[in-house]
Amino acid sequence: MKCKVCEREAEGDYCELHEKAYRNIVKEYDVWKKASDVSWKQYLSEIAKNPFTGLWAKEVAESLLSQTK
Amino acid sequence: MEEFPKMEKYTLIITEKPDAAERMAKALDYKGKPEKVEEDGVPYFLAQRDQKLVLVPALGHLYTVVHERGRRNYYPVFNFKWAPRYSAERGAKETRKWIEVFSRLASNADGFIAACDYDLEGSLIGYCLLKYACGGKETVAKRMKFSTLTKEELEKAYEEPLPQLDFALIEAGRARHEVDWLYGVNLSRALTLAASRWSGKYATLSTGRVQGPTLKFLVGREKEIRSFVPTPYWSISAKVEIRGSTYEVEYETETFEKRVDADAVVEACRGKPAKIESIESRKIQQNPPIPFDLGKLQTEAYSLFGYTPRQTSNIAQRLYLEALISYPRTSSQKLPPIINYAAILRALSKEASYSKLASELLEKGQLKPVEGEKDDPAHPAIYPTGNLPERELSPPEKKIWDLVVRRFMAVFGEPAIRQSMRVCIRVDGHRFYLRGRRMLKDGWTRFYKPYIRAEEVLLPTIQEGEEVQMKRVGREDKFTKPPPRYNPSSLLQKMDEEGIGTKATRADIIETLYSRGYVAEERIMVTDLGFDIADILSKHCPRVVSVKFTRELEEKMDRIQTNSEERESVLIEAVHQLKPVLEEFREREETVGQALSKAIKKARMQERIIGDCPNCKTGKLMILYSRKTRKRFIGCTNYFKSLCTTSFPLPQKGTAKPAQRNCKGCEWPLVYVRTRGRRPWMLCFNPNCPLKEERRKRVEMQGLREGS
Repeated sequence: MKCKVCEREAEGDYCELHEKAYRNIVKEYDVWKKASDVSWKQYLSEIAKNPFTGLWAKEVAESLLSQTK
Repeated sequence: MEEFPKMEKYTLIITEKPDAAERMAKALDYKGKPEKVEEDGVPYFLAQRDQKLVLVPALGHLYTVVHERGRRNYYPVFNFKWAPRYSAERGAKETRKWIEVFSRLASNADGFIAACDYDLEGSLIGYCLLKYACGGKETVAKRMKFSTLTKEELEKAYEEPLPQLDFALIEAGRARHEVDWLYGVNLSRALTLAASRWSGKYATLSTGRVQGPTLKFLVGREKEIRSFVPTPYWSISAKVEIRGSTYEVEYETETFEKRVDADAVVEACRGKPAKIESIESRKIQQNPPIPFDLGKLQTEAYSLFGYTPRQTSNIAQRLYLEALISYPRTSSQKLPPIINYAAILRALSKEASYSKLASELLEKGQLKPVEGEKDDPAHPAIYPTGNLPERELSPPEKKIWDLVVRRFMAVFGEPAIRQSMRVCIRVDGHRFYLRGRRMLKDGWTRFYKPYIRAEEVLLPTIQEGEEVQMKRVGREDKFTKPPPRYNPSSLLQKMDEEGIGTKATRADIIETLYSRGYVAEERIMVTDLGFDIADILSKHCPRVVSVKFTRELEEKMDRIQTNSEERESVLIEAVHQLKPVLEEFREREETVGQALSKAIKKARMQERIIGDCPNCKTGKLMILYSRKTRKRFIGCTNYFKSLCTTSFPLPQKGTAKPAQRNCKGCEWPLVYVRTRGRRPWMLCFNPNCPLKEERRKRVEMQGLREGS
């Protein structure tokens, strides 16, 4: 399989590098939800435009957002 | 070979560099005026003391480890020998003349002294010359040991030399070079051959015993940064007015995980009366800093002046060669009394800017430096020799010398005493803190003043129970930040903490990572090529990027210096470890080659990217070549997706590459163009750049003026 973001070899949806970013995104959603009660989609848009978000996390967030459209 | 002119017998003194030879010759010649001779462009010095002395400089290492026999394009290779550098390295032709001069001068000498720097490299340089160029004189040679190039110390080192070379140090130096060669040559060849066999194109790839684990640290940090997801948190920002002045205050809880909680505090405190509940004050004693070892000097110079570790090391080396500071490649943080603190201070007091400070320390009577824990058997910590510059120092040299001098004086200073104050302000059950600090006794900081970064925050006279005015209470929205990137200085510290590399090689290893294109930028960013190399090494030969394994090998090599380990056993172990790694690598050569070729191709593409496309905003502008005409131009990557047709012409002569900076006039990315016979220039390819318009008008005006 190919990674949905970078087309590297992947076992699931993402390659090893983007998988790590994806897992971080899922993990940190709990913190965001508790902090300001945002929806999953709002959360993804927030982190996609946040300057502190890492490049791979941003790419995964954008890919997830495009799937939810 | 022409015969060297016969003269009376003499003692041959081998030094590490020409500057050191000249200084040593001046120090040892009884008139202080040695004769300089130049033969085939190789300088050496004739000095007269109790006997005739010939001082010959090396050019750093003149011998190196080479493959004993065989082709260049295969691995594994475990048979090596020491050979002249000119026979192994293309850029080392000059060293042939130096070796020949050494050999000729050795034939007429009846005494030999190695006077290279007293460390692994210096001992090895002297040993190789005595053994190979002087015809086996390493067993009869004596050794001068010194930490500064001052006249007094050099004379003492000459009068009381060690009876023989320090063979433990030499064995340790040999082991390091040989183990590094085994790792470097085999792994670099494995990578390069795997890539070129797969793609048919040659690209130099390298890794080494220390380079691999260092790249691994950087990749680990880069992965954390790139997959980082920030989380929100909130804090309270507030200001208080006391006697007409406004001060920032901190809320008792530093951060809030929920916005509503921060909002509740703002709501509760806004517009409410505030009263000073308590004033706490405490004195903090700040001890003087410890003397500089090389690592500490490099860290301080990076943070104060922005010099990379390698720059600092080079500057310090120059200052050492001019006898202004002691030997800089030291791990010691100790200053033994034998260096004569008072004599150094007396000498420094002749310099106007240090006169008052040095005299003040001399008046103290007993001088006792604060010292760190680290020690180095060969040299003390870095200290000024007391000599004053004989020429105008360059600004960087001046800065480093001043830093070393002031640090030396500071270690003898009294502790500094600071007062820290915390004023608690109560607002409707909530507490805010106003903090102040001031210096009560400046102690050692007086000596180190230009380099002290702590600022004073003076508070007004206030009393408990006094009412004050809250000026503003607000909520601040914040996000957690990713871990910081390493910079050359923090990476050097990390290598030191992890115990990999030596003080002499760490800075060079960092530079190699840059020159190979594995990392970029000052705040170190791993490139795609760096990622792929680290990934391939971790997958296919994890041992060579293992920090633990590298550290263990370092420790074994260190033990050779104290005669508790043998060089041969370390080499056998290195080969034993490396052999299976290389065999496995060879089995997977095709897979590895494919991955590497992709990585190189991607890196080469990256090198051609100029910046973002100003028209479609989503594509990248890059240097492309027309298939039809083979002419180069700038085009958008979205052209291949039929989304953007932006293109700009480029000059066809010379080389053109991204300049990595933007035009001052229009902010478009610039292209660096280099043509033969012309100065390199920056090209702004924006046809509507305002700077071009200005230039056009200027030329027109000039034409009009000339016409009228």
